Amino acid sequence: MRVVIGEDLFLLRDGLVRLLEAHGFEVVAAVGSAPELLKALTELKPDVGIVDVRLPPTFTDDGLRVAIEARRACPGLPLLVLSQYVEQLYARELLADQRGGLGYLLKDRVFSDAAFADAVRAVAAGGTVLDPEVVSRLITKRARSGSLAALTPREREVLSLMAEGRSNAAIAAKLFITEKAVSRHAAGIFANLGLAQSEDDNRRVLAVLAYLNS
Amino acid sequence: MDGMTTPGKTTATRWERLRAHWPALLLPLVAADTLGLFGGTVPMLLVIVTAAMALLAPRESARLTPFALLAYGTYGLFLFHSLSDFESQLVTYGLVEEATGLHAGYVLPQAIAFLAAGVWLLARTGAPGGAAVRRALAQLRGAGGQPKTVPSVLLLPVLFLWEELFSQQIWFGSNPGRVIALLLAIVAVAMVTWLPGPAAALAVAGLVIFGVYGAAAGVWHLWFAHQQIWLWQWTYGAVPVNVRMGALLATIEGLVLAGAGCALAPRLLTWRGDIEMARRAQALTQRVSRLTQTRSDATEVAVAELRRIERDLHDGAQARLVAVGMSLRAAEELMRDNPEAALALVAEARETSSRALDDLRGLVRGIYPPVLADRGLADAVSALALDAPVSVETDITLHGEPPMPVAAAVYFGIAEALTNAVRHSGADTVQIGIGYSGGLLRATVTDDGTGGADASLGTGLAGVERRLATFDGILAVNSPPGGPTIIVLELPCALSGQDHGRQERASWQAIT
Repeated sequence: MRVVIGEDLFLLRDGLVRLLEAHGFEVVAAVGSAPELLKALTELKPDVGIVDVRLPPTFTDDGLRVAIEARRACPGLPLLVLSQYVEQLYARELLADQRGGLGYLLKDRVFSDAAFADAVRAVAAGGTVLDPEVVSRLITKRARSGSLAALTPREREVLSLMAEGRSNAAIAAKLFITEKAVSRHAAGIFANLGLAQSEDDNRRVLAVLAYLNS
Repeated sequence: MDGMTTPGKTTATRWERLRAHWPALLLPLVAADTLGLFGGTVPMLLVIVTAAMALLAPRESARLTPFALLAYGTYGLFLFHSLSDFESQLVTYGLVEEATGLHAGYVLPQAIAFLAAGVWLLARTGAPGGAAVRRALAQLRGAGGQPKTVPSVLLLPVLFLWEELFSQQIWFGSNPGRVIALLLAIVAVAMVTWLPGPAAALAVAGLVIFGVYGAAAGVWHLWFAHQQIWLWQWTYGAVPVNVRMGALLATIEGLVLAGAGCALAPRLLTWRGDIEMARRAQALTQRVSRLTQTRSDATEVAVAELRRIERDLHDGAQARLVAVGMSLRAAEELMRDNPEAALALVAEARETSSRALDDLRGLVRGIYPPVLADRGLADAVSALALDAPVSVETDITLHGEPPMPVAAAVYFGIAEALTNAVRHSGADTVQIGIGYSGGLLRATVTDDGTGGADASLGTGLAGVERRLATFDGILAVNSPPGGPTIIVLELPCALSGQDHGRQERASWQAIT
């Protein structure tokens, strides 16, 4: 699996390269600035790109803008955006094109390398992976005002795990229920949110989006 | 024993009180002076009564003293007039013993001295009217940057001086003359009230002219005319000019007056020149005192903030990193003998380092929120609204970005208002509006909660108020019991022409 990395801090970039290579990824480019990253993503069209939000030249949200720009140029290009902090505002902007293959995680998540590699694979496969911190803040908010009120508590739980990018099997393991039960809950969620039958992954993205925008 | 110490004590305190209120002692002195003037039992009684008062109630006596001096001085003026009108009588006034009309001139300086002492004491003691006198004296010195109206008041004493200087015989001796003097006084009061500038100029010019005139008259008499016999008495000020001693005094008097006029003239020019300057000086003084206040507030806020950050770092991230180091050290030792326990310690270290990062993230948000740094005020407030646990509607119209410190102050102000709404008001929805017009950035936070918020209670909103004050901004809280609460932040600032970061974005997109 071919990966492009955009990270300006040498130590972190180096660490990411080693971590991903250890898990069997092929790092085709590892760059340290926004223009270089945009060029690498659009020209090399990797299976997945790993993008740091804060990059030179302005050291603000250059990486985020590169991500949005690259996905405009190559629709559906799988990208995993990393940051020292996560913002719902940025999550919405990343997901605005309503396509899967997108991750938004805290940099700390690379500490648990196996889980991180799983997240990279999930994104490359077209899944949506949101950081638990984004998801947990959503839950506090929805606890008070509920436009997802139609969902049962269990369905909401499943939805939040879906937003974190977990597969049905992982959700089943986490909630100590069968995979079948998870599928049933997922179907309930899709029905409640008015998401028609289509490819499962895309519906998952839309469900997460509905969750974000509620 | 008690019977002996108690009186001793009271005498001591009485003596101290007398020292504190020493002007009280002048009261019997003034009364004693009237003894020589009037004679008889009434002044004698007055002396006894005032002396007793000074001893028993020094404070009250001290308050009376200025008025007694003023009254006695005024009486001296009348005495001077009656003497110089050739009313033959022997008077004793102050240091003058059994004077006749010829010595009338020596009464006037003493009368003026009594008046001056009265005014001075009035300003010093807590007597009624003292504050007004103090203020007038301070303004006369040009204090407080607002001396404009005061020098014009000088016209009144100068006019009075003028009439006194030339005495009655020459111009104002006759009744029509008195009418003219009265008219002049009315005109002078009117000028002081409505034309302070010209009045002040006239007063200073009068001082110089009368001074020069008096000095010239004195010199002329001393050198050229002292041999002549005069049929009428020519007085200048307090003294008869056509007496050798009087001519000398008149010269001195004239020089003093002219000198006073010359000394005041440059100040008058400044005063006259610019009412505007005086107003600006006053405005600047106020501005400086406000800036001094807000600067010290800002420094305090900054120091408190730094201390909070230091404490948070010390108790949070720093402590956790120490723990990480200790875990790793322990793991190092266990590595060979007990790899499993070592592994557990390493996992613990990783967990702790994750917590340290969490702490740092929280800290960074409190110092300068990342979205604010990345995107500017509008997006930062939108992000704040998204993160809030209640439904928040935003209406933000900003064509440009305020300077970073202003943006931070407004951001934290809104964040505080939002936190209050969520925590205390029980609101379901909050509306945040930001707009800019006429050089003012205005943010409103409205909630549908229970109201009763008060900036003077608690530290949150008060802190916001102080932070805004640094930028001449204000915080207004309207929160009647029962709600709704409306909090308005308003501060003057300029918006940079472009959206945050657009310029840089354009530059690197051009590269690609």
